[in-house]
Amino acid sequence: MIDVIDGGRWTTIQDRGRPCLERFGIPPGGAADWFAARVANELVGNLPEAAMFECTATGPTLRFDVDRIVAVTGGQVDSAADWQAVRVARGSSLAIGTIAPGLRTYVAVRGGIDVPVVLGSRSFCQLGTFGGGFGRPLAAGDRLPVGQMVGHEPLPEPWPPSHRLPLRGPWEVRVIAGPQTDAFAGDALGRLSATACRVTPEIDRMGLRLETPGLRLPSEEILTVPMTAGAIQVTPSGGLIVLHVDHQTTGGYPVIATVINADLPLLAQARPGDTVRLRAVDMEEAARAWRRMSGWLELDL
Amino acid sequence: MWRVAPAGDRALLITIGTVIDPALLAEVLALDRALQDRQPAGLLGTVPAYGSLLCHYDAGVTDAARLEESIRQLEGKVEYSIPSGTIVDIPTRYDGPDLPEVALKTNLTPAGVLEQHAGREYLVYCVGFAPGFTYCGAVDQLDVPRMASPRLRVPAGSVGIAGRQTGIYGVESPGGWNLIGRTALRLFDPTADPPVRFKPGDRLRFVPIR
Repeated sequence: MIDVIDGGRWTTIQDRGRPCLERFGIPPGGAADWFAARVANELVGNLPEAAMFECTATGPTLRFDVDRIVAVTGGQVDSAADWQAVRVARGSSLAIGTIAPGLRTYVAVRGGIDVPVVLGSRSFCQLGTFGGGFGRPLAAGDRLPVGQMVGHEPLPEPWPPSHRLPLRGPWEVRVIAGPQTDAFAGDALGRLSATACRVTPEIDRMGLRLETPGLRLPSEEILTVPMTAGAIQVTPSGGLIVLHVDHQTTGGYPVIATVINADLPLLAQARPGDTVRLRAVDMEEAARAWRRMSGWLELDL
Repeated sequence: MWRVAPAGDRALLITIGTVIDPALLAEVLALDRALQDRQPAGLLGTVPAYGSLLCHYDAGVTDAARLEESIRQLEGKVEYSIPSGTIVDIPTRYDGPDLPEVALKTNLTPAGVLEQHAGREYLVYCVGFAPGFTYCGAVDQLDVPRMASPRLRVPAGSVGIAGRQTGIYGVESPGGWNLIGRTALRLFDPTADPPVRFKPGDRLRFVPIR
């Protein structure tokens, strides 16, 4: 068992989420920074689908009742387990503390966090208040069982810094135009790409609200359409809402462009006040970006 | 002509139309079924809503151009008919906090709003936004804009109206629809299969209870 001594700011259990249930209004969810989460599982030797802790801004303090192998990835914290697998002795605690730079940190435990599977995933779903073991973020006093979702030995070396994503802005985020680009007059995406967007304090796993200083794109509501993670909605007030993993499954604001899957982790680490620049790319470049990160994960250390 | 546009680097959005229309929904649902029958390589899942269908694909198996081609082969070939299944009764207590305001805005009495809203048939156009939220068809006489500032917490089962449409909240969530009533019927249950009570194409009717 793992005892939660302090829950931190907003700590939830996440895995790869529950894709393809959006027709029921259920968001895909899963780790907001899928890359850091995947590396954390890799470091401790877990299967890719093992569940872990997702910490936000300030992490939890956890106590272990038997020796465990853990790894911490994503937003930077002061820990010996930062991007490497280490042994935490029975009875001792792991205090994650303040996360900076970056916003979200992942704590994987060898074997995975074994909370009940709900609708195919152990992830906490905020919109539906289910999953994640308790149907809520973790709090002091919670106890979590460790499973046996192990695929290989823990990696002996730290994860190389050359194979990590940046943790601080300004962020360059690559997008594919559409699907509702035609709802905007002229070269709206070109003008948006030339704008330094600013991250507002309104950010969570559902989405990030961005300001576009000096640019106001006129936008009108459209007939409700399905939405995806990365969809950049333009609201009638001219601001942007970039949907993330716990996104609303449908929406009525036109989507000018959609963030490519390889760059969604960057938005999981962006903080209020950060600058985001969008860059329109084609499918080829999106595929190249994906292959590059997949290549990192097939490292033979 | 169907519009097919990328929704990022691993989904395509097929837009058949952009108005609320039972025939349009029927065509979307027919395309959805046809794709589920044919299982084009790399298609992972679909999401229907009103006049459009989202198709998630595995970019390691197919790409946007190839998937679009297999979808285009179905254009003009899917047979559809307006949904005509059983009508499900929704026992509803018409005591929502916005009922007086809706009455004022529609030049009706609260009883008049109830009369317009209850007793008629509704088509489910979409289950979306949040788990189990059920978007139903339009009532021309009840055209009320969305609230200027949404509520932070709307209870599950709340029946709301916005811009001629009716919706039922599946879970407690934030929301900007004008609340006119509430049902005890459970629309979302994560332990059930399927986890939602309704799907697009279903028909329902609100039945007033005291």
